[in-house]
Amino acid sequence: MARVEINQVSKIFADHTAVSDVNLTVNDGEFLVLLGPSGCGKSTLLRMIAGLELPTYGDIFIGERRATRLQPKDRNIAMVFQNYALYPHLSVYENIAFPLRVRGADRKLVDDKVRWAAELVGLTRMLKRKPRQMSGGERQRTALARSLVRDPDVFLLDEPLSNLDAKLRHSSREELRQFQDRVGVTSIYVTHDQVEAMGLGDRIVVMQGGSVRQIGTPEEIYLHPADTFVATFMGSPPMNLVVTGDVTLGFRPENFLPKASFADNGPVTQITFNVHRVEYLGGDRLLYGVVSGNLPETQAIARIPSSVSYSPVLNTEVTFAVANSELRRFDTASGKAIAAEASMEKRRAANG
Amino acid sequence: MADNRAALAGDRLLAYAALAPSAFLLLLLAGVPTITVFVTAMQDVGMGDTDGPFIGFENFAWVFAEPAFYTALWNTFVWVFGSVALEMLLGLGLALLLNKSFAFRGAARAIVLAPYLVPTVVAVLTWRYMLHDIVGVVNAALMSIGITDQPLLWLNSQGLAMTSVIMVGVWKFFPFVVIAILGILQSIPQEQYEAAKIDGASDFQQFWRITLPYVMPVFLLTALLRTIWSFNKFEIIYLMTGGGPLDATTTLPILVYLKAFSDFEFGRAAAIAIVTLAILCVLLAIYFFFIKRAEARQ
Repeated sequence: MARVEINQVSKIFADHTAVSDVNLTVNDGEFLVLLGPSGCGKSTLLRMIAGLELPTYGDIFIGERRATRLQPKDRNIAMVFQNYALYPHLSVYENIAFPLRVRGADRKLVDDKVRWAAELVGLTRMLKRKPRQMSGGERQRTALARSLVRDPDVFLLDEPLSNLDAKLRHSSREELRQFQDRVGVTSIYVTHDQVEAMGLGDRIVVMQGGSVRQIGTPEEIYLHPADTFVATFMGSPPMNLVVTGDVTLGFRPENFLPKASFADNGPVTQITFNVHRVEYLGGDRLLYGVVSGNLPETQAIARIPSSVSYSPVLNTEVTFAVANSELRRFDTASGKAIAAEASMEKRRAANG
Repeated sequence: MADNRAALAGDRLLAYAALAPSAFLLLLLAGVPTITVFVTAMQDVGMGDTDGPFIGFENFAWVFAEPAFYTALWNTFVWVFGSVALEMLLGLGLALLLNKSFAFRGAARAIVLAPYLVPTVVAVLTWRYMLHDIVGVVNAALMSIGITDQPLLWLNSQGLAMTSVIMVGVWKFFPFVVIAILGILQSIPQEQYEAAKIDGASDFQQFWRITLPYVMPVFLLTALLRTIWSFNKFEIIYLMTGGGPLDATTTLPILVYLKAFSDFEFGRAAAIAIVTLAILCVLLAIYFFFIKRAEARQ
């Protein structure tokens, strides 16, 4: 088990910068998720931690050791690949045993370790099979077991669930998290799926264009996005953004409700909303429309639980509202969030 | 699904009608000559004849009693296994090298494939010139660096002729092996090597535990295919040495040719050809057995 520290790491390929000046500390035993759209540099960062790529600048520490230029095998890390990278000609048993075999472990130790790992992921009865005779979920568990047998300091997982169908992905996500809680190994998990990231991560690192946009717990990232990119990347549908001069207002669709549904618990901001289309999703209804009134006309979405009785009237201006505590402000030019206290002070100053 | 539907009578008719031209051509081009050769092998056909009295299996009896047949059979095995073994080793080695990334890799690949594209006649004539004992560049080079002090009779000595023929055969056909193995090497997912690197496998272990298992089925099939093709090979040997000197490079196909068109013993030549065909059929059966097994594993 170990802490991982990433110091001012950049990776520059011939034609583009994949990772630019990333600083990050992964705590011992933490489950950290690197999240971002494809091409944001998250996989490259993971590959640098694994030692499959060398950073152009910066340093990587694993435990107390500087690992920047160590061979992958000397880092005591384990990695699960997106397509699992199982050896097709070897049985499940031999796949799991591979890391021990190449290190020349003795037969007894190999057998003990393989059976222990297989037990942990529930593959004991499939040890004789070849990878092609197994389902996606079983292959993924084989890859997991293979990464376990060496007692690694750090687990690296590169989109390990993305080749599974939706239902299996959900159950595997839960298994994976339970499993990490049990073994308690520092884990770094790459994904482009925000639901996966929110569900799995102790902390999430949101990346875009090679840089870190925000690091925080799932709550922090969802409730207090650091900039407009994070605000719109997280959440489905994304946060509504309304540009009002220097300040961009942001509010989540689920906090954007008819005025009537607010009791008098706290101050609200009223917003005129004109609904054009309603989408019924079972648990929720999505109302697509345009905000106007004292705000510039902007497309927005409201999400109303089906349990709330409200019959939207199309193409008519109605009064919606957002609780002031749920309203976020961003600097329009930089996209950066304006801290709540700062905006409070500004308002206080304006109100005298 | 279309394949679940019971075939209608009309469908069958159409299918046979569509197959008929190919089947007819195949019979005409492969079936008829084979049968003709078999019939000829049963006859005593001499010079100037196309037909002769039926003598049953007498020609075959002659073949199995004839020392020249056994010499040719031995030569064939030397030629086939000598050239295929070298082709496979050289092909595997070069494919592994060409699979690495280095500057001018594309050009290197093209150059390696060049011998395969040169017409056999051109290649053989060039090689005969290079291997010529007096004016050949090979002897000149060997003598200038002092490996030998007198010219070697590459094509005109019984000891060296087969070596020379195998050398040229290997040069001509190893690119085929390179293409086949390079193809499979490039299909091995990079993640397998990355996973192995992280797990601590050395370069040799990566080769032994990942590359080789991937390459092996293709390697074996290519070796079998090359065996069958080399067994049949006629022109490269005939153009190099004509089967000589003193039958030193007379393989079965060349013996068939010499019997038929130099001794004009068509019946006996046909009998040798049929025996050759039988040996090839065994090789083919092994080949299809391996193909089937490889397909079943996929």
